Amino acid sequence: MHLRGVFCGFVAATVAAWALAASGPAAADETRTLRIVSPWEITGLDPARSGYIFARLQVAETLVGADNGGNPVPSLAENWTVSPDGLSWRFRLRPNAQFHDGTPANAEAVARSLQRAQSLTGGMLTNAPIAEIAAADGVVSIRTDRPFVALLAFLAHSSAIVLAPSAYSEAGAVTRIVGTGPYRATVVEPPLKVEIAKFEGWAGRPPAIARASYLAVTRGETRTAMAESGQADLVYVLPPEAVDRLRRNPRLAVAVAPIPRTRLLKLNAASPFFADQRVRAAISFALDREGIAASLLRSPESQATQLFPPSLSEWHVQSLPALTHDTARARALLADAGWKPGQSGIVEKDGRPFRVTLRTFSDRPEQPPMAAAIQAQLREIGIDMRVAIVNSGEIPAGHRDGTLEMALFARNFSLVPDPIGTLLQDYGPQGGDWGAMNWSSADLARTLEMLGSTSDPAERARLRAAAARVLHAELPVIPVAWFDYGVAASRRLQNVSIDPFELSYRLDAMRWAE
Amino acid sequence: MSSRFVRRAIGAACVGAVVLLAILGPWLIEADPLRQNLRAALRPPFGDDLLGTDHLGRSVLARLAHAARLSVSFGAASAASAALLGTGLGLVAALRGGIVDRVAGALCDATMALPGLLLVLILAAFAPGAFWPLYLGIALALWVEFFRLVRTVARSRLMAPEVEAARLFGFGDLHIVKRHLLPHLLPALGALFAFGFGASVAAVSTLSFIGVGLRPPTPEWGNMMTELLPYYDEAPIQLLAPAGLLFATVLGLQLLAGRDTK
Amino acid sequence: MGGVGRALADRLLQALFVALLVGVLCFFLAEALPGDQAFRIAAARYGEDMVSGIAADAVRAELGLDRPAWLRLADWLLNIARIDLGVSLVSGESVFEELVHQLGSTIGLSLAALALSALVGPPLGVFFALRAGKLPDAIGTAAAAALRALPSFAVGIALMLVFASWLAVVPAAGYDQPQSWLLPTTTLALGLAATSSIVSRQATLAVLQSSQIAFARTKGLGEFDVVRRHAVRNAAAPVVAYLGVQLVYLVEGVVVVESLFAWPGIGHALVHAVIARDIPMLQGTALAMGLLFVLLNAAVDFACRAIDPRVRHA
Repeated sequence: MHLRGVFCGFVAATVAAWALAASGPAAADETRTLRIVSPWEITGLDPARSGYIFARLQVAETLVGADNGGNPVPSLAENWTVSPDGLSWRFRLRPNAQFHDGTPANAEAVARSLQRAQSLTGGMLTNAPIAEIAAADGVVSIRTDRPFVALLAFLAHSSAIVLAPSAYSEAGAVTRIVGTGPYRATVVEPPLKVEIAKFEGWAGRPPAIARASYLAVTRGETRTAMAESGQADLVYVLPPEAVDRLRRNPRLAVAVAPIPRTRLLKLNAASPFFADQRVRAAISFALDREGIAASLLRSPESQATQLFPPSLSEWHVQSLPALTHDTARARALLADAGWKPGQSGIVEKDGRPFRVTLRTFSDRPEQPPMAAAIQAQLREIGIDMRVAIVNSGEIPAGHRDGTLEMALFARNFSLVPDPIGTLLQDYGPQGGDWGAMNWSSADLARTLEMLGSTSDPAERARLRAAAARVLHAELPVIPVAWFDYGVAASRRLQNVSIDPFELSYRLDAMRWAE
Repeated sequence: MSSRFVRRAIGAACVGAVVLLAILGPWLIEADPLRQNLRAALRPPFGDDLLGTDHLGRSVLARLAHAARLSVSFGAASAASAALLGTGLGLVAALRGGIVDRVAGALCDATMALPGLLLVLILAAFAPGAFWPLYLGIALALWVEFFRLVRTVARSRLMAPEVEAARLFGFGDLHIVKRHLLPHLLPALGALFAFGFGASVAAVSTLSFIGVGLRPPTPEWGNMMTELLPYYDEAPIQLLAPAGLLFATVLGLQLLAGRDTK
Repeated sequence: MGGVGRALADRLLQALFVALLVGVLCFFLAEALPGDQAFRIAAARYGEDMVSGIAADAVRAELGLDRPAWLRLADWLLNIARIDLGVSLVSGESVFEELVHQLGSTIGLSLAALALSALVGPPLGVFFALRAGKLPDAIGTAAAAALRALPSFAVGIALMLVFASWLAVVPAAGYDQPQSWLLPTTTLALGLAATSSIVSRQATLAVLQSSQIAFARTKGLGEFDVVRRHAVRNAAAPVVAYLGVQLVYLVEGVVVVESLFAWPGIGHALVHAVIARDIPMLQGTALAMGLLFVLLNAAVDFACRAIDPRVRHA
């Protein structure tokens, strides 16, 4: 009998410990903290590594921002002018802009921060033809080597956030985040946590939300549970399979936002398998995009009928014939290209079976199952595709050393709010790490170059359509699905909006419901 | 009928059923474990497919049966290798003592100090998606468990009066191991083996959870659990089915190994 | 007393040896891995959107990855001699400082889980042994097998669903409230308790069947006294020895639990370091874990000696 007593004691003690500690989620008080959850970890304070987190939290600002259409809007710079030759830009800063350490955000400090951004490894400004960044007469002036219309978009990139002189060590490394935004960072704990509070020195309209915290939660299941339990007020990137369930939750408002990003297959056009356009077209016809979009991504409208999603309205060409699923045509195209049925259903040419390896990575959890689906779909037309789950760096590495055959990933067309920035990197004469491989088109290169220096809207529209057509016909990469993601917001929160370019969480516009 | 018999019978039934599934399943079940149908994804059980379909519309039952071969042999191989190595070294260390004991102990400490997961992760990086690094890594991480248990128990058993008496009578090590150590060790070893089996299959799913697993589309219990995890809400049966089989195997082995009151 | 001092010195030496061995081994293993380190580091630093050949070249130049491997290893060893673990190739922060932050969280979590499992597992095991063959024993055996068969993420998700999503009594993840400890600790502890309850059950059964106990029973001692006086003490040795082994499971569990519950720990860091080939971070993490292990192991050994006097003469 004693023994049972001892045992029961243990159980009771454990239960009591639970009950004691589980006194319920923290009670709300007058300075309620807005809790934000997203999958992205803080990998370092360097703006090229985690600048986007501090930009989204509105702790740090870029010189220029972008509206929902990707057009430049004032941010730290109030207005700007460009010289008639298109080479010299002058940015007038917001008067009485202040860093969080109380020092003025004047032209000198801003220019110095941008100069650092220009030489930043992995930064965006490195890719722009900038000759000089200087401060003169209270304005920041930037000179480019050639007319470069996309400069404003490049300046909106999070690696070009402006930090105070006190943010840098003597060696030039960022040691703390001192920005100019409406919020200041109060706690920064890499890799998971940031806490922010309203900056009292903010000259604009004071934000209604006084405090917020950011937590990086890599697992989608966990983010879902945090939204369901009310532990988080704002949850970014919901797992697709959780969206419907969360929609039924009366405490939550769920929005699915299209993002200018496309999941695509990159092919090595120098390999004997993919040099022939007909083979690339065959692969495109073999893909059941509708099935993938509907059952894996839970978003039927995200099946990619062309490379650019409709959310990139300037680049999406309505009149292009949609990429479709047609296994019979795929087989016929393969046969045209000389691939004949061989042993165990694998097509072969000159005695060589069609056997390739696709590289993809699991940082985006939907990619491995998508690869498995594509594997089965290609098997239908006699292509034996192996799937290698690798580190994302192995894709550009394979691009460089030529060992890459196929890759599946999601390419961001709005690295900077103007997709031309991405396209120049991806589809130039040399191809690009995340774009074409051993494929080039003189036509496309010329079109893109002209786009870089033309500012006449009608001419630009014509050039964009021409570029989209080349990519659609030649298929150097094969679009699979466009990108959208779900955001769950607590109903206690009002004025939530989603920035399609993911530059800002727009916290300053939100407020608590009464 | 003694409870011991009942335990053994249940254990044998569990293990037997799983082994039968592994051997006969792939023959008896017509469905192709790799055949996808995205339009019939996550179908509930008891429809066209007894256990429903997974997120790619593949038959879960067919995948389970095919996976059973891989998982059962994988778990058994890892646990058996670890058990042989650990028990052998542990007995030698306890019997010989001195320098042998110290070297074996140091080896064990070094293995444990290098986290098993790190070992598997690094080995897996040599041949991503392959099976042997997982087997090697898991077996290398598991053996210490057997070693420590065997050494500790054997050491204290060697002090027992009956063992000292046997020594005085001039019986050799082999006799002492067979007569006095093994009978004492076997139940605990059996339990450890059962756990080792479970641990190795669970380790495969842990690895695919952190993105270092087998290549798709290979069906494997551990992998299946990770793949279906996001769908816990819509397809709980499909998610629990591989876990259930693993449970039956671990429980069965444990019941077979278990010790009972006389 | 001299014996204890000597044993301690012994352990310390062993710790140093293990630390160096682990560090050097990690270095060679990481060096031998296929794939280009510069690309992996660039990917970990700048994310998939910004990793490119140019970024990788810049990383290579910045970190001197072109230098011969032995030079870099020599650098590391020299730094170790000065108790400097170097700088993480990914975050650019000092490895030592990252470890202090992350190791602290992990140790806290592990100790809490160990304590909880020690509180639950062995007493349950003894209880099952005393009820061997009866219903509680059967349920316990089945539950232990179920917990070992389910991967820890499944247990974690289940707990999260029940206690955070449905009942909403605890936070689902994070580490900023005292209640945040409950789910990760319980997830880890359940796995540990499953094994330790079974080990204790076996050990107790073995002791109960031995001649000593039979004698004690014939002496007319009550069940509780028999168990307290003889069984617990004798059964404790294998159970405590097993505790040492459990530490290994902890590491594995910690990796999963940390990423599931957004806990800023070392397991998390370790996986990231392997994936990114962040060698200094990998070495530092493995070194810290190695040292920690040796310390805990020593503690377990001393505990074993204290419990079972016979081992002392061995």
